[in-house]
Amino acid sequence: MSWIQTLNFPFMQHALIAILFAGIAFPMIGVFVLSLNLIPLRFAMMHVALLGGAIGLFLKVDPLLLGLLFCILSSMALGPISEKMKLGVGILSGYFMTLTLALAFILIYKADIHVLEAFNILWGNILSLTILDLIIVGLISLMILIMVFLFFKEIQAILYDREIALAVGLPEKLFYYLIIFMLGLTIAVSMRMIGALLIDAFVLLPAMAATLISRSLKQTFFFSSLFGLLSGMAGLYLSFVFDIPTSSTIILVASLIIAGCFLFRRRLSGYEKVR
Amino acid sequence: MHHSIELAELYVRLGNVSVLQGVNIEAKPCEFISVVGANGAGKTTLLKVVNGILKPSQGRITVLGYNLSHYKNLNFLRKEIGVVPQKSNSNRFPICVEEAVLMGRYGKIGLMRRPKEPDWDKAYEAMKAVGISQFSKKLVPELSGGEQQKVALARAIAQEPLILLLDEPTTYLDQESRSEIMEIIHTIHHQRELTTLLVSHDDQLVEQYSDKIYLLKEGKGYLIK
Repeated sequence: MSWIQTLNFPFMQHALIAILFAGIAFPMIGVFVLSLNLIPLRFAMMHVALLGGAIGLFLKVDPLLLGLLFCILSSMALGPISEKMKLGVGILSGYFMTLTLALAFILIYKADIHVLEAFNILWGNILSLTILDLIIVGLISLMILIMVFLFFKEIQAILYDREIALAVGLPEKLFYYLIIFMLGLTIAVSMRMIGALLIDAFVLLPAMAATLISRSLKQTFFFSSLFGLLSGMAGLYLSFVFDIPTSSTIILVASLIIAGCFLFRRRLSGYEKVR
Repeated sequence: MHHSIELAELYVRLGNVSVLQGVNIEAKPCEFISVVGANGAGKTTLLKVVNGILKPSQGRITVLGYNLSHYKNLNFLRKEIGVVPQKSNSNRFPICVEEAVLMGRYGKIGLMRRPKEPDWDKAYEAMKAVGISQFSKKLVPELSGGEQQKVALARAIAQEPLILLLDEPTTYLDQESRSEIMEIIHTIHHQRELTTLLVSHDDQLVEQYSDKIYLLKEGKGYLIK
């Protein structure tokens, strides 16, 4: 069966549409993560989702849906709580991560839940997305794009320096909380798509590559979306051609793009030195 | 005439440490006030209190006639206060000089609105005033410490503030650049009729430019000029 023929299957069409949306929008969240150093938050969300999944299994409710709900609630709470307690989001994420993991283990043990069943929430599958999944991915992607388009200058100031954003009279806290909330949503949805452990493929790696070669925030957003889309599409195609797992292939392509950007930057700086 | 800045019996605690203990400082419109003191004397804390970032445990702060304790949201006031931080944490993503300076306009432009030609004009005027027009397309991290300091100053000026707060603006500079920056600040202060509050550990450097100088020592403020 050829690659083109596989596009007749609904699961492939769903995967392509999801990559189109997520590949463009999710790396923009990666730019936020890198600029505001929110990497620990990503780990916290994974474990919050695990607790949600465990509770879902215990209550016989869809564990993925409950995992998503827990991520949304905790991403709404994290910013204000860290502000009230005067703790950085990174430190609070560590607290949330360990607490939710401990609670999830207690629940899994006491309620006699099959561990693998609970951990299923951590492995997503881009080839098993439903129409509802696509709608959620599409909506969140649109929300990210609209947020970046409407509030570009506010986001630019906050990513540049939160203190400066505050000093020039912008509602810096409000936007910071919004960014954390969108990050929580993105991580929750990415988990369903490609699994918590491979979220970096869509969120972080394209953003990393973009920061290597960009000269402005606009360029960083543009290249991160381009690389996200490229690695997603190429990853899906190559995984079919070589019969290897899709998520891992997307990561490999994204990693190659990073290596390419790194070499490009070195060559560029070498050229500038000679000049 | 009301004071542009008035701090009365100001007490500030950071955790268990009493940083400011009954400080009184007044700045009339168009005055150039310097606050000097050793490292850790509470100079940066003082500026953060004036800008409403830190709340005092006791005392009254009045800025441009507004008693800060009466307002929960001070963004309206911050738009009138230009801030030049000691050192910016701004090397996270690349940005060119003109964009970094234009950022000073963002508060006044308003939410969801794009910068228009008058905003760009003000940014270019500010760059010209501090002498960095020739670097406008360069990336900020590619500039020297002194040039980056000028970018921060230009951003504060582009904001068209009534008050200018400067936190150790010469700390990371050599002697020549220090005098140059101080001359630029002094010229802008007069040309734009600003009320300027500058904190520094170098009392000799600020002496010739200041209308009044306060010394911060052991949490107290003393008028020494």
